[in-house]
Amino acid sequence: MTPDTKHALFALGDGLASMLVGVATAMAVHAAITPGWDMALAMVAGMVIGTVVHVVIGVLLMPLIGALEAMVPAGITGMYGGMFFAMRNTMVDHNMSHGMACLIGAAFGAIVYVGVALYNRMTRGVMYEHPRGTRA
Amino acid sequence: MNDKKLARKWDRSSVGYDLVNGAEQARLEPFKRSLFAQAKGRVLLIGAGTGHDFALLPPGLDVIAIDISEKMVERAGLRVKDYCGNLQVRRMDVRELEFSDAYFDVALASCVFCSVPEPARGLHEVRRVLKPQGQLLMVEHVRSRIGAIALMQDLMTTLSSFFGPQMNRDTVGTLLRSGYRLDREENLYLDIIKAIAATPQ
Repeated sequence: MTPDTKHALFALGDGLASMLVGVATAMAVHAAITPGWDMALAMVAGMVIGTVVHVVIGVLLMPLIGALEAMVPAGITGMYGGMFFAMRNTMVDHNMSHGMACLIGAAFGAIVYVGVALYNRMTRGVMYEHPRGTRA
Repeated sequence: MNDKKLARKWDRSSVGYDLVNGAEQARLEPFKRSLFAQAKGRVLLIGAGTGHDFALLPPGLDVIAIDISEKMVERAGLRVKDYCGNLQVRRMDVRELEFSDAYFDVALASCVFCSVPEPARGLHEVRRVLKPQGQLLMVEHVRSRIGAIALMQDLMTTLSSFFGPQMNRDTVGTLLRSGYRLDREENLYLDIIKAIAATPQ
């Protein structure tokens, strides 16, 4: 397998992991948080749920896609997605279907992945180089 | 120093280490190979782990690889044959190196100082054993300066530190406070995985 192919497969894995965390978080939050919840508490609960979901899925997928680069998009999806999904659930009628919740979770995961990938393109590269360069 | 608790933690992690970390190693491999290509002369490889990095070293060097865990050293010993050069693996704590001053030309560390307790003490020791013209080359993950990601790293560290590394360290800052001059700092992934080159000063 060429390095480029390997890189593409890992990138695909990161994207799918982020979407999977989005789906699982959306479903868990959909089941747990209802309009009767106080919004602030719901957001904290959603964040905790999303973080737990991310950790469980992250540990399971670590042998396949590693930890660090997969952790960032999947972690943001779980942590912040859980918070947003919970906030939404307290504000709207709780009549959204599981399918729609899953779809929104997957879309959120995909958007976060793309956003992180674009941000990575901007932040990668040499941050500092001593005027005399490296010695070795 | 004989940090038995830390050694036991990494002894436990040595079981299944390659399976759990194989993908991460594969992702970092091109970066490490490129950084390690700068190594020359007598080299200290800090945190040998299971010896995965041996195959990434340029051939013909005189390398001493160290790890605090006896089990890791045993596993790494099986990979010594992967290296075309002079390579020894020894059990040693980076915070108390058993080498004379100015012994090495280059020190290499890959995802090590996220796991060393008292990293400044370890870096001081590395500085002691490096020649004045020597260089420390590292691939490390550090705390992001992006608030949302840093918060997540802080949360993850509460879990990860039980069985492995801390994900939220300011390794570049620690390096500068430990008497090194920063030669080069490169972001490899966002601002959390970095390739770092530094010289004792």
